[in-house]
Amino acid sequence: MSNTLFERKAYGSNKCKGKKESTDAFTIKSYSKNAKEKLGGPSLAGAFKTREGKPTSFRKFYERGDFPIALEHDTKGNKIAWKVEIEKLDYHHYLPLFYDGLCETAHPYEFFSRQGVHDMLEHGGSKILPVIPQLIIPIKNALNQRNPKVMCTTLKVLQHLVVSADMVGEALVPYYRQILPILNIFKNQNLNSGDGIDYSQQKRENIGDLIQETLEAFERHGGEDAFINIKYMVPTYESCMLN
Amino acid sequence: MATVQTPMEPCGMVRPKSWDDKVEEAYRFQLAGYRDEREYAHLTQANVERWPHNGYIKKLIRKDGCWYYFNKTRECSEKDVSKCKLYSYSQDK
Repeated sequence: MSNTLFERKAYGSNKCKGKKESTDAFTIKSYSKNAKEKLGGPSLAGAFKTREGKPTSFRKFYERGDFPIALEHDTKGNKIAWKVEIEKLDYHHYLPLFYDGLCETAHPYEFFSRQGVHDMLEHGGSKILPVIPQLIIPIKNALNQRNPKVMCTTLKVLQHLVVSADMVGEALVPYYRQILPILNIFKNQNLNSGDGIDYSQQKRENIGDLIQETLEAFERHGGEDAFINIKYMVPTYESCMLN
Repeated sequence: MATVQTPMEPCGMVRPKSWDDKVEEAYRFQLAGYRDEREYAHLTQANVERWPHNGYIKKLIRKDGCWYYFNKTRECSEKDVSKCKLYSYSQDK
């Protein structure tokens, strides 16, 4: 719709072009004395914005066929066929690689990394504990993507990790500083739908709930220092054991 | 007279209506490509490894030599119950 000459003079040419009238705060323009335009708020920091991940080494290894898994694309669904017994695998090599694949969102990488991690944790026993320090960076990278799907998977994997073997929960306590900041950001991401149905609850895809569950699992299995360390990184967290 | 080593062919098959431990057992064997424990024992000559707390199957080797690993808890979902087959043998009767 074209504006009249009066409108253009009255509201300025900016309005006609659809440009904003305000200047961003903290810019050089906003500090100038001659600034006539209204001062707008600072631009968004993007704390909740999804970030693009780098290509993972899981993908590289998968495409090269380095994993001891049979690549099947049939309808059998949710199982990996291992070419080697899991008990005989080198956990120091393979477990961090599978964790690295948690950043993936594309099929089949996403499925194989998720299921691979699940199988290795379920059957790893005492071989998991020594590998914990190598798992922190992949976990941190996955959470740092701030992608809801990736976060859900990673949180479920964390919940599985703490119960996978003895002392794993305690071994994670020194690494809370790396893992928990992202959980702190998203802790309140819960839908207030009144009395409506939030289907993500049923599907276990609600990030706020998953974070609460994960923190409770950390506290239950992290020993006596766990709570105070969680509280330090996530101040709104209340103990599930003390109260 | 030497005993016959070949597995007996089943004489009957029923589809389960609801889930129970037997159905879970059959589901795991059939996912790995076997009829049941008899056929598995005959073809692989191996014992089935089980979870100690509930006796569910832990891992099975498929006919192509790959391994399937199973969870501690129930894996056979409701929609898979009717797909399972429970075989019966004449000796059992």
